[in-house]
Amino acid sequence: MLALIIKRILLAIPVLLVVASLTFVLVRIVPGGPFDADKNLPPEIIANLNAKYHLDRPVPEQYLLYLGRLAQGDLGVSYKYVNRTVNDILADAFPVSLQLGTISLTLAVLVGVPLGAIAAVCRGRKEDVIAMFLSTLGISVPGFVIGATLIFVFAIKLRVLPVGLWESPWHVVLPAVTLAFSPAAYLARLTRASVLEIVEKDWVRTARSKGLSQWNTVLKHILRNSLIPVVTVLGPLTAIVITGSFVVEYIYAIPGMGRFFITAVMNRDYDLILGTTLVFAVLLIIANTFVDLAYQFLDPRMRIED
Amino acid sequence: MEIVEKAPMPVAAPLDQSVMARIKRIPTAYLALWIIGAICVVALLSFMGCSLCQYSFDQTSSDFLAGPSAEHWMGTDELGRDLFSRIVYGARLSIAIGLTTAAVAFIIGTLYGALSGYLGGKVDTLMMRGVDIAYSLPDLLVMILIGVLLGRGTVGILIALGLVSWMGTARLVRAQFLQLKNEEFIEAARAQGQSGWNIVFKHLLPNALGPIIVALTFTVPSAILSESTLSFIGLGLSPPACSWGTLASDGWRSLRAHPHLIFFPSLFIFITVLSFNFLGDGLRDALDPRTRLGKNSH
Amino acid sequence: MRIIGDDRYLISAFAKRLGHCFLAMLLLISVLSLSACSRPRSRFETGVLRVNLGTEPPGLDWHTATDSTSFDVVSNLMVGLTQYTNKLTCAPSCAKSWEILDGGRRYVFHLRDDLRWTDGKPVTAYDFEYAWKRLLNPVTAAQYAFFLYDVVNAREYNTGKLKSADTLGIKAVDDHTFEVRLRKPAAYFIYLTAFCVSFPMRKDVVENWGDRWTEPEHFVTNGPFKLTKWQHEYKMELAANESYFDRVPQVKLIKMFMVPEASTAFALYENDELDFIDNRSFATPDVERYRNSPEYKNFPLLRANYLAFNVTKKPFTDVRIRKAVAMAIDRSIFPRILRRGERPATSWIPPALPGYSPDSGTKFDPAAARALLAEAGYPGGKGLPKAELLYPNRDDVRLTVEATQDQLKRNLGMEIELVNQEWKVYLATVRKDAPPMFRNSWGADFPDPETFMNLFTKDCGNNDTKWSDPRYDALIEAAQGELNAAKRADLYRQADVMLCREAVPIVPTFLATQNIMIKPWVTGIAINPLDLQFFKDVVVSDTEANQREIR
Repeated sequence: MLALIIKRILLAIPVLLVVASLTFVLVRIVPGGPFDADKNLPPEIIANLNAKYHLDRPVPEQYLLYLGRLAQGDLGVSYKYVNRTVNDILADAFPVSLQLGTISLTLAVLVGVPLGAIAAVCRGRKEDVIAMFLSTLGISVPGFVIGATLIFVFAIKLRVLPVGLWESPWHVVLPAVTLAFSPAAYLARLTRASVLEIVEKDWVRTARSKGLSQWNTVLKHILRNSLIPVVTVLGPLTAIVITGSFVVEYIYAIPGMGRFFITAVMNRDYDLILGTTLVFAVLLIIANTFVDLAYQFLDPRMRIED
Repeated sequence: MEIVEKAPMPVAAPLDQSVMARIKRIPTAYLALWIIGAICVVALLSFMGCSLCQYSFDQTSSDFLAGPSAEHWMGTDELGRDLFSRIVYGARLSIAIGLTTAAVAFIIGTLYGALSGYLGGKVDTLMMRGVDIAYSLPDLLVMILIGVLLGRGTVGILIALGLVSWMGTARLVRAQFLQLKNEEFIEAARAQGQSGWNIVFKHLLPNALGPIIVALTFTVPSAILSESTLSFIGLGLSPPACSWGTLASDGWRSLRAHPHLIFFPSLFIFITVLSFNFLGDGLRDALDPRTRLGKNSH
Repeated sequence: MRIIGDDRYLISAFAKRLGHCFLAMLLLISVLSLSACSRPRSRFETGVLRVNLGTEPPGLDWHTATDSTSFDVVSNLMVGLTQYTNKLTCAPSCAKSWEILDGGRRYVFHLRDDLRWTDGKPVTAYDFEYAWKRLLNPVTAAQYAFFLYDVVNAREYNTGKLKSADTLGIKAVDDHTFEVRLRKPAAYFIYLTAFCVSFPMRKDVVENWGDRWTEPEHFVTNGPFKLTKWQHEYKMELAANESYFDRVPQVKLIKMFMVPEASTAFALYENDELDFIDNRSFATPDVERYRNSPEYKNFPLLRANYLAFNVTKKPFTDVRIRKAVAMAIDRSIFPRILRRGERPATSWIPPALPGYSPDSGTKFDPAAARALLAEAGYPGGKGLPKAELLYPNRDDVRLTVEATQDQLKRNLGMEIELVNQEWKVYLATVRKDAPPMFRNSWGADFPDPETFMNLFTKDCGNNDTKWSDPRYDALIEAAQGELNAAKRADLYRQADVMLCREAVPIVPTFLATQNIMIKPWVTGIAINPLDLQFFKDVVVSDTEANQREIR
């Protein structure tokens, strides 16, 4: 187990390097630059700006400069938020997304997995159909519609929860529920499918035919084994949800980092794009390492690496 | 635990009449199939230029933002265009996107995941790091770039959405394979000297279908909705053309004042996705080797 | 799998247990919600104004800021040599008086002697000299440095042709006298002294704190409010500046939230969590619902939308076709589809500015337009190539171009292909190789026709139409230096006729409006067509007069 973790940490370095390099190339070949603006600027001023941010150097030199800074943990400066470094911006925004994302993810797992399990054991009955409707609703209705509807019902009509902003624990409820909708729906459907897969396995049939005495242990086995797909999607899902959602942060006016995945690209804020991408990559690598560890815990026969 | 007692190895049924016959026996799946079929036919007919509605999708009128009525079943939009006609028109792109993205995710994701999971070890580790990299790259940048390279148009949309949607399926397939390849029936197949190809496609894949089908049915709505993001960054449709995704994303701010603008597009996406879910469930049962086995043994 | 008799009991027990967990959670949530319900709420707090900025200001350094959000904040933190009145004339502010000498080439400002920075130090002419030189310094890389290019040697210094700032026409004569020399007379120059880019700045603060000098703990300003708190991407708090030389504001605290989504901001207003909202917080359907509310107001902005041609691309190389397009668009459609009280426009100079004439542009006349098109060789639009119209993707812009497309098809038989691009790609495309048609807009920087008319001179970096005419340039040049107001207005009017009726490189479509809602307990918000918002005279209290409306 320790060996796996160490290997993954060592592997993470080249992976991050590739991500950083590819993103670096991507941002520079996409048309539009950070200083294209509503009012066209005289070329001299663009030159001044480019010089200030070293964007006048040849691209390979910019790349080396960037990697050099990266090695020291410096993610660079924002061109859009003039006086702020990317480290500052992410240090402010990430904790907010992390809080909201953790709550949401917990909610999604607590609702989605049981819902799926209920649907599976009650297969074909009304519980199953209700679960199906709920999860279809969760995935097919866009996040902004869910958000707007929740605001309308709970904040405007019932007036029991705040419309938006990030002030008290009450302000977390609606965004967390909105953010949890689609992951919960996905987890529910996935749990249902994999429980059904496992339940039909021969050893389950055999165990069942042996009578009730073993049924409880088998139930544990079923849950354990059927959690494999759930755990698999939880890896990337964790990285996605705790780095924030553009839609939810936008609708509820929450100062998280999800918005930067969109706005930084829109503004061609090169270093901020790279910064958010790297933070996401690091979290994804950590989450996926945990997923692989969890496999071995859930089903000891699964070997991840020789 | 006993070795598998049934002598003939379960084999996935080819998609032939027997699968169809089985789907027919599951009423929800059969109904779902009809609904999807109907939507596809409507999309195809309107694509071929048959006028199915009273109005053209781009015909403006001075009847701005009218609610549903006998004249306009689903009301009109800001330019006085008939919403029902626009939804019928929008079906073609949305359905095409849903289906092709799911297909791309299925083909690339399954092949990649199957290879990674079946081979395991170092290959698996490396291939999964590749997935990590693909996952980490900013989708929006990738899509803008594809838009620039391929220009506007449907092909660009399909490629862009396919390229950013296969990774989840790959990881899921790989996990299923890692788990299943330790099962007795696989070892039995190996002992029988079956080829790796056979084992992957005849034994492993059919047994892993449940979660894969769920993943695919979820690719459909997310692709339909993401398409509106593509329109936003200029890769999508050029107005007055529309899709369910653009109709939904243009209409949601009217939730309180003109709810019909968001309700009807969402309803159609919902019905379609619901049908895909029911069909997916039915398909899984129909393709599942064990269900057939169960039927025989009963 | 079929469920066998014995299992059914166990499975349903399992399901029930899960179901109980579920119910317990629902119960918890509803209990929490109910307890939230019982919180007492007051509708406002006396002396506290809550507004929505929409987005995070990219930066409060008024040399590097370029956007209206930053300027909205800076306008309340800082004052310059002059200050706009509500009628958009320049009134004395830091400067108690000024003289215009040498036929408009030299300005001498006399500063008040009771000016104080928020840290107690006096505001002097040297702070202005430092600020203006910093703005023009290439190292600052200020995007808006070009606003001062009329100052002697400013362009040369900013572009690096002149290394030293000593020869700039900017000089503090003594603590209270500030002198500016211009390279040519510029009638609009006085307006720039009320604009954020020309505000004074403290050398010691800027140099001491570097990039962080605008953070609340270091920031030193001279206006009616001071920055006390800045939670990035979320909220700013401005407190009344007790040492402000003019009247200290009655409102003690302004909370500026950054709510990007208009419908959310609007819901916050409805729930009494914001006291004042403007366009940033209005989704179009909300305007409709509140049009008759006494809290709602609507007034024109100096922001014009237009359709531009690339006159080097077919078929718009032919002026008759451009003119036909201008005459075939019924501008009255725009307020009907956008529903925010927009005003149709046919001339480029908006009403309220000198030089405006309703007759400068063409009238809606589809028959004449068709005749022109036939004369150009395309009767009924036959044979016309399908032209592209490029626009940046935004809901309201999409509606306007769709309506335009529809009108040209119906009135001229002209087919237009709409091409949308994401904002930055759009800007890059228009600049590099503009398509035959594109949609654009322009907001005034100061209340003078110059800000609009300069746009289509040959050397203007923002003229993407590829159209230019020495006669037009000469008219604008003459108007810039003309000190007689009536003559000047006439010069601009002639240029406007040329632009909108004769050469038609652009088709003005409509003028944007500002929609606002103010809670009955708030008075004194000053708003003007330049879209600057001043909060110094605001009062938030339940006065007797307000009380009646509140209940």
